[in-house]
Amino acid sequence: MNTLALRDRPSRWWQSRVARRFAQHPLALLGLVMITALTVACVVGPWLLPYDILQIDLRARFAPPLTGSHILGTDPLGRDLAARLFVAGRVSLLVGFSAMLLSVVVGTVVGVIAGYRGGWLGAALMRTVDGFLAFPSIFLVLALSAALQPSPLMIVVIIAVTKWMEVARIVEAEVRSLREREFVLAGRMLGLSSVHIMFREILPNAMGPITVAASLTVARAILLEAYISFLGYGIQPPLPSWGNMLNGAQQYLSSAPWMAIIPGAAITIAVTSFNFIGDGLRDALDVKGEHG
Amino acid sequence: MTKPIDTKAGWSRRDAMRLAAIGGLGLAAPNLLGRPAFGQTPPQKPAGRVVVGMSQEPTVLNPLMVKIEVDDGVHFSLFDALFRVDPKGVIQPNLAREVPSQQNGGISQDGLQWRVKLRDNVRWHDGKPFTAEDVKFTLELIVNPKFRSWRTLGHALVRDITIVSPTEIQWRMEQPFAPYLSFLTETFIVPKHAFDGEADVNNAAFNRAPIGTGAFKFGKRVAGDHVELVANPDYFGEGPYLERLIFKYIPDSTVLYTQLKSGDIDMIGQQYIPANYFEEAKKLPSLAVEKVLRSNIESIYFNLDRPQFKELVVRQAIYTAIDRKSIIDALYYGMPAPTETFMPKQSAYYNPNLPVQEFDLKKAAKMLEDAGWKKGPDGIRAKDGVKLSFANSTTAGDQLREQLQQFVKQSLAEIGVEMKISNLPAAVIWGDFWQQSQFDTAIVGITFLIGADPDVTNRFSSKAIPAKGGRGSNNAQYVNPEVDALLEQGTRTFDPEARRPIYNKIQELVRRDLPFMPIYQTEAGYGRKKKIQGFQANPNTRTESWDAAHWYWMS
Amino acid sequence: MRGFLLHRLFQSAVLLVIVSLIGFATLSLMPGGPMAQYGLDPGMTQDDLARLKQQLGLDRPLWVQYFDWAWRLLQGDWGKSFRDGSAVLSVIGRHIFATLLLMGTSTVIAIALGSWIGIRGATHRHSVFDYLATIGAMIALSIPTFWFGLIGIYFFTLKLGWLPAGNMYTIGDGSVLDYAHHLIMPSVVLSLVHVAIWSRYMRTATLDAISQDFVKTARAKGASERRVLMKHVVGNALLPMIALAGVQLPSILTGALVTETVFTWPGMGRLFLDSLSYSDYPVVMGLLIFSAIIVILGNLIADIVIAFVDPRIRLA
Repeated sequence: MNTLALRDRPSRWWQSRVARRFAQHPLALLGLVMITALTVACVVGPWLLPYDILQIDLRARFAPPLTGSHILGTDPLGRDLAARLFVAGRVSLLVGFSAMLLSVVVGTVVGVIAGYRGGWLGAALMRTVDGFLAFPSIFLVLALSAALQPSPLMIVVIIAVTKWMEVARIVEAEVRSLREREFVLAGRMLGLSSVHIMFREILPNAMGPITVAASLTVARAILLEAYISFLGYGIQPPLPSWGNMLNGAQQYLSSAPWMAIIPGAAITIAVTSFNFIGDGLRDALDVKGEHG
Repeated sequence: MTKPIDTKAGWSRRDAMRLAAIGGLGLAAPNLLGRPAFGQTPPQKPAGRVVVGMSQEPTVLNPLMVKIEVDDGVHFSLFDALFRVDPKGVIQPNLAREVPSQQNGGISQDGLQWRVKLRDNVRWHDGKPFTAEDVKFTLELIVNPKFRSWRTLGHALVRDITIVSPTEIQWRMEQPFAPYLSFLTETFIVPKHAFDGEADVNNAAFNRAPIGTGAFKFGKRVAGDHVELVANPDYFGEGPYLERLIFKYIPDSTVLYTQLKSGDIDMIGQQYIPANYFEEAKKLPSLAVEKVLRSNIESIYFNLDRPQFKELVVRQAIYTAIDRKSIIDALYYGMPAPTETFMPKQSAYYNPNLPVQEFDLKKAAKMLEDAGWKKGPDGIRAKDGVKLSFANSTTAGDQLREQLQQFVKQSLAEIGVEMKISNLPAAVIWGDFWQQSQFDTAIVGITFLIGADPDVTNRFSSKAIPAKGGRGSNNAQYVNPEVDALLEQGTRTFDPEARRPIYNKIQELVRRDLPFMPIYQTEAGYGRKKKIQGFQANPNTRTESWDAAHWYWMS
Repeated sequence: MRGFLLHRLFQSAVLLVIVSLIGFATLSLMPGGPMAQYGLDPGMTQDDLARLKQQLGLDRPLWVQYFDWAWRLLQGDWGKSFRDGSAVLSVIGRHIFATLLLMGTSTVIAIALGSWIGIRGATHRHSVFDYLATIGAMIALSIPTFWFGLIGIYFFTLKLGWLPAGNMYTIGDGSVLDYAHHLIMPSVVLSLVHVAIWSRYMRTATLDAISQDFVKTARAKGASERRVLMKHVVGNALLPMIALAGVQLPSILTGALVTETVFTWPGMGRLFLDSLSYSDYPVVMGLLIFSAIIVILGNLIADIVIAFVDPRIRLA
């Protein structure tokens, strides 16, 4: 049945037009390289460094970068900043990724149903989407994380709650335009269930925009986590995240500026990478859409 | 030149006791006691302006409404109470002409009848005379069930307020309650006439444009930014010498300090100079900087209802495993000093003879081992199925406490005790979680005393456990019948000399039982421009601006 | 047009109800509540706390609290702050100037700088400038605003001493120059993201215009490049620019909140954080509704403008 949905799928994905076009996009490749390197560093880094992230050494506090074996210096408890940066990276990237997955799943389901069904259900769903969009999300996120006990899972859910709408909008628009296409009509005539048509026939054809939205959503989720953790409402110590490493760095800005500079740089690199990748995918997949 | 005042030197505790017992003789010179001699004389006419920066915003202008610490500076400058506590902890008359005591007959021998004589030369900022009517109105407003008032403790015991004459008032207490005298130093008197015809006391015009008797009149408030007060030339006491007094809100303590350094503000208020900048600030030639004791005791609270903490030896071992010296030296830059009690050192009731905690990990481990707490396969000690593992909570986002937690966690791990960190936002943790004792352990900065009175019934009486239906804030759920009896006795005893041994004993018992582990008593880094004269720190109040009437600029 | 407007107004009203419900539900989830700030006060007893709760009406069932609040709001009463008892609208009013000043200045910077970069990029397509602008915009979109602010403070306040690290004015000064001096860093920091967005937008708009026939004709007629650009490109792009500004409102509001925190700017963002930490529910709810109204208005203006420009959209 799936063949109905396929238009020009080649035998190997890396031979596809999309992959070729992506590979010719220098920024996208740069993004891919940077984020891969950063991820590998975060996963492997802590094993290579001679420090435990919780190992406190008050005699070595506020060591500037390149002091002995502390390549990135130490924090107010004398903990190795590099080790903390990598472990924090695991947390931040994982939170960003999970929040993206959750918002893409929710956004897709809502978007597909709203787009395919239309009518009052579609309208109601899309008005709900507008409702969430009308909320300056940072207000909502802060109110939520002030109200709930901030565990990483909760932060993921809170971020997803404010990020799923854009995916829903994109998917709804795409599905609405696909609804009357031949292969869908054919599916209906064959007596396929709506669920089947929605998720097995239409959805695969909307994967392009979803992929682009997903990579941009990771970028935004990482940024949002950084914002709320910076304001003290996000990931809670002792679990480090890039955002909460910056919370309090302001206090030491004059005496230990590296504490502020380094985690911020890591966030910027990660977010830039995902934005580059998203841009490359957009060009490769011929998806129209504004920057954001 | 202003000399920093050392609260411990230059006067004996016994002197203070005696003075407190006699009750201010200072009618003629109400603020003479302890006032250092200045090389300069204040100006003839109020001149200049002082900007006090603070990292929380003063928002409550009605001094009787529910408020927080930061509002005090404004209230002390705008209003007067019947009495005022001086830097040595002695209660002085303010709107009253003398401090009532059993000796002078102001308080009856059974402690039930109170009689206060008032000044006859005081006028409100709007020119109307201050009389006993205003005092009566104030005391009644506090317990008015419709009024959103602050503390009602003590005030709720007041009965049969009678105006003897415009300058004399008396009332009866439901039961003898010695701390009330001290409470009255924080009970600012408001004008009755300002509330005439106000249907809703909570929304009276007075609450936005207050009228007081104090050295400064209300100027204006720019919400989110500052409160401006102007000199009251008709003030009945000495001063004011400043034309304007401004309380400026600067929400970040680092920026607050930066502004002190750059001279944008003239004096630093709440949260004062951050510990990491204190040494730097001391070296700045333009600033006068001093360490001032606060009543706040930074401590780790146990929830004694938890099975892990039932045994005293567990609490002792954990206390022994805390390296307070390293913590204070490194995290707090050596600023505060360790303490062993809830009683602030500036109090005349401080007990200096308590056993001193000594950090010793080996000893701590041995104590647990000997008491039968054996290490399990996971390295965590347990006894009779109870694991020596617990959570520690504090305000999320509080950098220093988070660092303290991680340090303590590491020390405790070494003796086989597991401490997990579980922090909550401020608006959550100090709600039911704290009040109903839902924590295992909590790091908290606590002021145990109300005003300068040594009474701690609210904190340590077995009847004050909210989790068990009590009315106070005994959040450790501490129960000791001996302490209960002593607390009861203390509130019924008016003579400071007689109260002293009672509170010494209470401190001994609490130190032994360890319902909380004291880490240190807060010492704030006060700072101001050197050219501000007449400044005096008062560790018995919650604000640096308790006495702005006497400040002036060196010419 | 009228039907479209009515339809959108009705939608907006429904949206506001949803927003208020979410906000109210969120706040009521908070286990601590407004009494938490007095939890450490040694002199406040459980009786005092219970009394305050009752006086503030917080002991009533949630739905009663909600309907009471909503009913008053419909009558124009936004409630009173728990902290200082003043009316919520006036509390917001006292903070709005600072936020508008910051948002306005940075929007002007964003449009001016963004337009220049965008138009130059389009007219010099594939130049080094264009390429760097493209990459720069994407990086700018990736920098956390607050971090950019911290770096700014580090260099311009701590290292160079040129700019103040916070506040809107110096007490006792308050001249226009003084305000401007304090405004530079926060408004530049806040405008960063929006310069990027505007430059991308203007680049696309200019490219579209250049390819259009009438521009080609004008150029062929020998009109100067600059005049053609100004007249046709900017003229054509003006209405969509207003629409874009409307759509950008939520993001600039979010940015303002964070920027205000870093630079201790006395605006609505700081008011929100303060009110949140003191659990001042009426103000928090007021700000939520207020910002939602601003955002909805922004979108509405954008929609109307677009509908005006492109009548086909009117029916959508």
